[in-house]
Amino acid sequence: MSRQANRGTESKKMSSELFTLTYGALVTQLCKDYENDEDVNKQLDKMGYNIGVRLIEDFLARSNVGRCHDFRETADVIAKVAFKMYLGITPSITNWSPAGDEFSLILENNPLVDFVELPDNHSSLIYSNLLCGVLRGALEMVQMAVEAKFVQDTLKGDGVTEIRMRFIRRIEDNLPAGEE
Amino acid sequence: MAVCVAVIAKENYPLYIRSVPTENELKFHYMVHTSLDVVDEKISAMGKALVDQRELYLGLLYPTEDYKVYGYVTNSRVKFVMVVDSSNTALRDNEIRSMFRKLHSSYTDVMCNPFYNPGDCIQSRAFDSMVTSMMIQVC
Repeated sequence: MSRQANRGTESKKMSSELFTLTYGALVTQLCKDYENDEDVNKQLDKMGYNIGVRLIEDFLARSNVGRCHDFRETADVIAKVAFKMYLGITPSITNWSPAGDEFSLILENNPLVDFVELPDNHSSLIYSNLLCGVLRGALEMVQMAVEAKFVQDTLKGDGVTEIRMRFIRRIEDNLPAGEE
Repeated sequence: MAVCVAVIAKENYPLYIRSVPTENELKFHYMVHTSLDVVDEKISAMGKALVDQRELYLGLLYPTEDYKVYGYVTNSRVKFVMVVDSSNTALRDNEIRSMFRKLHSSYTDVMCNPFYNPGDCIQSRAFDSMVTSMMIQVC
């Protein structure tokens, strides 16, 4: 694989089914390994965080976006460039808080959940929680502490999937807070 | 239009069976059970030809006085059996075929659900509602 060579030019095509099934296998394995859904959610978030802190480098190298001047610009880049690049979807940005430090990403269709139906005994599982971790990890690497969480999920019967993002603070020192 | 829909695993145990609630359920279970012999017969009789043509639809398995039983078998030997009212003459082979195809693609989605373990009973709501839509179309 000559990934390094064509980074920055075109994005690779891969089967979305393979991707969806791989993620499904990952989540169900976690469900088997951990007793309760809370732990699985936490684990997914942690895994996402670890992906995010690496993915941001790839993202910056490939996308050529510059430094964002405010949180609104960041939101635009996340929705229109990052989600497009990695998941092939463009979520819409809505529900800005008056202070401009909170917004919602609305995902019309979430490629992670294509075939999924949550069984009744996993009602508190946040299936796509990995995404929140990725967002948190990636933004942390560019000196932004954010909180991301799902507030609506199509798996739980909502019409759309909504990720609520909240800006906490700028991280002054360039060292990321250690995560085990 | 269908009065009973059943999905039978490779090892001939039911994964899913549903019939219209008004009628005698056991009768349909019995009917589907009996039809499995015919399915096996058909598969072994034209097994070779079936594979060659990639024809999954088995056609009419057997008619009874009131009902017709149709069969469909996937390449992984999962069987779909559908019982329809024989008074419904408007239902042609082509429609049955497309109903089976719909059933097949819905079954595929169930299989792709990471929370479904192959071999378990099908409890998917999406599959359930798809079968319901097949049942009430005409009834």
